[in-house]
Amino acid sequence: MRHQIRSLLGTMVAPEALVPDGELECWRTGQGQQGLPAAVLAPSTEEELARVLARASEEGWRVLPAGLGRWLEGGGPSDVSVVVSTRRMQEVHEYEPANLTFTAGAGLSFSGLRKTTEPHGQWLPLDPPGGLVGSLGAAVALGIGGPLRHLYGTPRDHVLGLTLVAGDGRILRWGGRVVKNVAGFDVTRLSVGSWGSLGVVTSISARLFPIPEAEVTLIIQGGKVSVLLPLARAMALSSLPLAAVELLDPLELKGSGLAEVGAEPAGPGLVLRLLGSHAQVEEMEARVRSDLSHEVGSLQRLEGETSRAFHETLNGWEEGADLVARLCLLPSELGTLLDEAEEVRDLVSKASSPPGAGMRLSAHVGAGVLRVAVPKLPEGDGGLDPWVSSLRSLRARLEERGGSLTLSSGPSALLREVGAWGAAGEEKALMAGLKAEFDPQGILAPGRLGL
Amino acid sequence: MVSSAGEPQILLHPRSRVVNILPSAVLQELILAVGSEWVISDPDRLLVYEADAQTAQKLAPQAVVLPSDTEEVSRVARVLHRHGVPIVPRGAGTGLSGGALAIEGGVVVGTSRMNRILEVDPENRRAVVQCGVLNTDLSAAAAPFGLHYAPDPSSQTACTIGGNVAENSGGPHCLKYGVTSRYITGLRVVLPDGETVWLGGQAREAPSFDLVGLFVGSEGCFGLATEVEVALVPVPEATRTLLAIFETLGDATRAVTSIISVGLLPAALEIVDQNTIKAVEASIFAAGYPTDAGAALVVEFDGIDAGLELEAEEAARCCEVAGARGVRRAESEEERLALWKGRKKAFGAMGRLAPDLLVQDATVPRSRLTEVLARISEVAERYDIQVANVFHAGDGNLHPNIVFDRRDPDETRRVEDASKEIMRICVDAGGTITGEHGVGADKRKYMPLVFSPQELEVLRGVRGVFDPEGLCNPGKVVPELEGGR
Repeated sequence: MRHQIRSLLGTMVAPEALVPDGELECWRTGQGQQGLPAAVLAPSTEEELARVLARASEEGWRVLPAGLGRWLEGGGPSDVSVVVSTRRMQEVHEYEPANLTFTAGAGLSFSGLRKTTEPHGQWLPLDPPGGLVGSLGAAVALGIGGPLRHLYGTPRDHVLGLTLVAGDGRILRWGGRVVKNVAGFDVTRLSVGSWGSLGVVTSISARLFPIPEAEVTLIIQGGKVSVLLPLARAMALSSLPLAAVELLDPLELKGSGLAEVGAEPAGPGLVLRLLGSHAQVEEMEARVRSDLSHEVGSLQRLEGETSRAFHETLNGWEEGADLVARLCLLPSELGTLLDEAEEVRDLVSKASSPPGAGMRLSAHVGAGVLRVAVPKLPEGDGGLDPWVSSLRSLRARLEERGGSLTLSSGPSALLREVGAWGAAGEEKALMAGLKAEFDPQGILAPGRLGL
Repeated sequence: MVSSAGEPQILLHPRSRVVNILPSAVLQELILAVGSEWVISDPDRLLVYEADAQTAQKLAPQAVVLPSDTEEVSRVARVLHRHGVPIVPRGAGTGLSGGALAIEGGVVVGTSRMNRILEVDPENRRAVVQCGVLNTDLSAAAAPFGLHYAPDPSSQTACTIGGNVAENSGGPHCLKYGVTSRYITGLRVVLPDGETVWLGGQAREAPSFDLVGLFVGSEGCFGLATEVEVALVPVPEATRTLLAIFETLGDATRAVTSIISVGLLPAALEIVDQNTIKAVEASIFAAGYPTDAGAALVVEFDGIDAGLELEAEEAARCCEVAGARGVRRAESEEERLALWKGRKKAFGAMGRLAPDLLVQDATVPRSRLTEVLARISEVAERYDIQVANVFHAGDGNLHPNIVFDRRDPDETRRVEDASKEIMRICVDAGGTITGEHGVGADKRKYMPLVFSPQELEVLRGVRGVFDPEGLCNPGKVVPELEGGR
């Protein structure tokens, strides 16, 4: 079967579109023989991809859309026949500074985009996990944002149009490069965050923003995370247009150089990012400081390039962890999320020494999202059993309150047992109907989003 | 479609599926569902519902029902679904694309009684409202908490949140804040078969398809959103408003391009051209704009006070460099409203120019504004028609409005031909056929300009997922295939 898929693909695409056999190990989607794809395809044109997907639909191959291959285990499935990478679709098709929009191949990395737009004083204010080396397509397919979502929103708010090669090979173009567009149903938005289960996003148009003139980061420390929480909430609800309000515990970040500026890396910290004109940033800083004056233990300040570099490091927050869980409730219930995270800490304690070592928390305070990263999970038989039951009941509790728990990454055994996502609930029938419309044979990322 | 003996059959036109007569059994069931006082079937009273604000086409529905909550909407939908009668959702009827028109007959479901604000939750900057709540009433309810609902369509004192959801409405301040879909986080939807589903929800941050995003802008074709969860934002602490007067429309659009290019992000950038200025100044809405000017540009900045002054000054310089004859500054809220007046009252004033008004809504890349407007003016000259431009320049969202007299068949034909040509010019410039008014019944014929047959087929398929029988607001958005659906 594996051999058959490879030789068939060999007849359909240019040789350079197939990743050499020797490199397949780099594209594992899980452990064991099952986790090794039969082929990895990196098409350079939509037509090439369309031919393959049409054939895959006929043959029933399981296909996993991917970007640059840095997060293949995220969300499963772990057993796929073909991985499709957009790494050869990195061209900037159009960039019109006067229109503040661009169109580029989905495989373009955030740093590649930056090289194009920065000389014109423009940027795409998205900072999804994975940082600058991640691809635009991955951020769009996952619909995920980072700390900057506090001011700028998530990919759904920036993407103006995209090309989607559907599961059966239809090449479909949605939206465009105008900032307002209500012609037809909003399939662009439907595609953003669909996790590759409707089609492969090959090209993206999005709006850009002027790069703010000034940048300052304020880091507030003092006491436990529960002490910082009310302050964090107050900042998130302030009328100041803060760019990011993040609560970290511990504050420690590899390579961030925090210790050098006098921060206490082992303790929790509240991170405020201020962006705007010089006058605006100065005013925001003065007002934040006056709000803080009575409560603060210590306050560190980063400015300009140092501040920007710190946030780039922060984007890599999820990297290197065995498990990353994402807990969501309304922002006012962030305290509940922090309490719930303590249960995970108990599990970590039992499995590590010193107890609890290494668990990290990061909250998008304004959004009510808490990320929990566990660096090392127990290995061997039965080691994960308490994690399975504990995560299942945590998910049940959050869903009961209208929230959710997703596992952004974790060992495939755990993801299989717990599921990366919870129940789709009332939306499931509609989602299944839409999936069938775009991917009638169900070959793309089977199992994702519970479909 | 079984009818009991003696009942008139629902008559479906073989091609257009127009429902001519509503059987009295259906009427009785509707009365049972919402109460007799909320079912309208008297032909005279139905005339109110024969069009929305786009009055080119008029067709009264067979009946109108006015339910008060989700449960009643669901009951109504079940009745109509069981009998195969089209259901046409309608908010305040301020739409500009014939979206609330019962073009294939059927029953209009009006949302005017569903006007309760269910929850304002400042701790989470959200509110949950019934779909019939007026746009400005929502902002008024949020005001005591220093919050407001950002999208501000020109009809905001009359239009409903449900209507805004259906059309994905914009407004002058969407340049900075974004359009409706950015602010809708959850929806309770009654599907065309009467089933009720909750889509999205802020708490869930749902790792699922963005069904809320897909539903917003679906123009009543996917069901009826009865309750809407919205995100609220802080009321800006300060504003700076400028009015720049230009000799030509081209100078004004060059100023807009320059303001955007230097990295300013105003809250609004709005232009009215000479024909519009003349109409406004001749009307009861006269705002003191000079009638010999080629165009007027309103520029507004908002946010925290610090830095706004510098931004306003820089924008004023951009206008002067582009050739502005003069730049006025608002020094008070009163003056600010005065500067805005000529823009906000433009549509109202145009009614004076001629009996009929064709409102277009195409969007082009902002960098192509000058060129596209010049070509539109060329078209107007060639067809000898009068075009008045009033538009969201910062978004590239044009409203070339053609004033004419429908009683003159020759003029009407020239208007239609010119209209088509303008649409084509905008699409060729990399734009699209509608930026905020919706496709509705009105622009369906232009959809093939922006979508391939295959993409149109997908749109039909997507609609079919929500409405397999095609009963929900039929005849809108997606053109039908030759020979029926």
